[in-house]
Amino acid sequence: MKALIVDDERLARKELMKLLEEHPSIEIVGEAMNAEEAIQMVNELNPDLLFLDIQMPGKTGFQLLEELDAVPFVVFTTAYDEFALKAFEVNALDYLLKPIQADRLSETVSKILDKEKSKSAAIRSADKKLGLNDQVFVKDGDRCWFVSLNNVRMFESDGNYIKVYFDSNRPMIHKSLNALDEKLDERAFFRASRKHIINLSWVESIEQWFNGGLMVKLKGGDKVEVSRRQAAKFKDMMSL
Amino acid sequence: MVNKKRLYWTLQITGWLSYVLLQIVFYNFSNESGIPLRRIFFFTIEGLICLGVTHLFRNYVNQWKWLNLSVPKMMTRVLPTISVLGIAIYFLRVPFSILFNIVTVQRVAFDPRQIIIGSSFYIILLFVWSLFYFTYHYIARYNKSLKYEASMIEIELNNLKNQLNPHFIFNALNSIRALVDENPVKSKQAINHLSNILRNSLTFEKKGLTKFEDELKIVKDYLSLESIRFEERLKTELDIHSESSKFLVPPFMIQTLVENGIKHGISKLTQGGTIHVKTLVDKNRLKIQIRNSGHLLNGARKGKFGGTGIKNTMQRLKLLYGDEASFRIVNENNNFVLTEIIIPQFINTA
Repeated sequence: MKALIVDDERLARKELMKLLEEHPSIEIVGEAMNAEEAIQMVNELNPDLLFLDIQMPGKTGFQLLEELDAVPFVVFTTAYDEFALKAFEVNALDYLLKPIQADRLSETVSKILDKEKSKSAAIRSADKKLGLNDQVFVKDGDRCWFVSLNNVRMFESDGNYIKVYFDSNRPMIHKSLNALDEKLDERAFFRASRKHIINLSWVESIEQWFNGGLMVKLKGGDKVEVSRRQAAKFKDMMSL
Repeated sequence: MVNKKRLYWTLQITGWLSYVLLQIVFYNFSNESGIPLRRIFFFTIEGLICLGVTHLFRNYVNQWKWLNLSVPKMMTRVLPTISVLGIAIYFLRVPFSILFNIVTVQRVAFDPRQIIIGSSFYIILLFVWSLFYFTYHYIARYNKSLKYEASMIEIELNNLKNQLNPHFIFNALNSIRALVDENPVKSKQAINHLSNILRNSLTFEKKGLTKFEDELKIVKDYLSLESIRFEERLKTELDIHSESSKFLVPPFMIQTLVENGIKHGISKLTQGGTIHVKTLVDKNRLKIQIRNSGHLLNGARKGKFGGTGIKNTMQRLKLLYGDEASFRIVNENNNFVLTEIIIPQFINTA
């Protein structure tokens, strides 16, 4: 498993590398000392795992994650940041408190390896498009989520924002639907209309609609109209 | 200060005015023929004499700081003084009593019995005046000390929460642990720095002020630890005036401001920056200037993170020195933030 360490302090990075020597399954492919460097390295090295400090000069760890398309597994490393960590749902994240204890690190590593195992069954798309197995980082106000695209029913554009539908949450992210559409794997996600992108694995039923369009009902009850222009394409895809 | 002076004069004037009026009314009722004008003049002048004497007495009390004395010590000074003053008032009014024909036979005024009775009356009057004056001040002082205590407790709590912030301690420990392999000698020094800071923070609540050198040592220990953590990103410069050691300073105050500068300034900069601590001594005042790379955002003082450290500092200065100390934090130019405190050499006890 390829890991990238992101921390502004050299000694902190060094200490973590030393601790990770005990875990040969984790291969450290790089060290970044700020968010800018990290974003570049994530895109170049495509790591499976980030050890990420929250407080850094320039951008914080959260801002870094917001700028990434697909987010690898993330383990936050922080000295004392109850406040920042509370933003997450319980069990939704892994974090290590500095000074990092070897036992805690071992637990975290095995947890991550388990997660990785269950994920690797799916094929990673070679063109780096976002598939169902990828996760994204969503921050809305004070709350944060790591969302597996598997769980996202649909994306809805709303002005300059996109509403992300998953579970009972609909946080907004600052992106354009067109930009997102280009990054999503077209085998998993479909641009239903100007306003919507739907997750094909969530489609429950399809009905004919006015003007040659379609009305798609998603598991969970959301209904989305497929425009006439896209309807033919949609029928093609669904009928194989 | 202005309000206190105003209150003093209001009470003095209304007090003696009512004394004069009471005298007039009382005289008017006890004499069937009513009160002659010369009597009214005389009572007014008597009131003015009392006002003058008590005012001089009050200045004397302030000058010799009798309010700071314990009650028995104060009494042994006040009682003889008001006795002398009582006799003085008696004789001061003698020329007027003759002038206004109050005493028809001149020698009656110098009759020993008359002197004793007359003076005793004024001594009692002065005693009542002192009772009011000293009681007021003792209560005011007690209130102030209660307020002070309450604020100190609040500050201590805030200190526990903020000043030695856990983020700093755990980051320091983390760097030290990495340093153990890399540079064992340096890591031992770092442990000394950290333990010195921790020890001082534990004893600090017990003292109101500390020697400048002790505070400077804490600042140096703190900067050494942060230098280990930030490495080449943190440059430190100290420029200490040789007479600074004559001063006492509130413990951990300079350290807090230096920490603020690093936390909100340098740690936010990718390239790092410089922290510069300078002291100047001018006319029994110590000026401490802390400059750090960075930029103070508008309203950062009231911000979520910047608030408590600065608020605490201002509160402590106010409590310890009243208006004698000053504090400011400004953008000195585009690259540096200046934090400056000016403190007097002695605590103002008045």
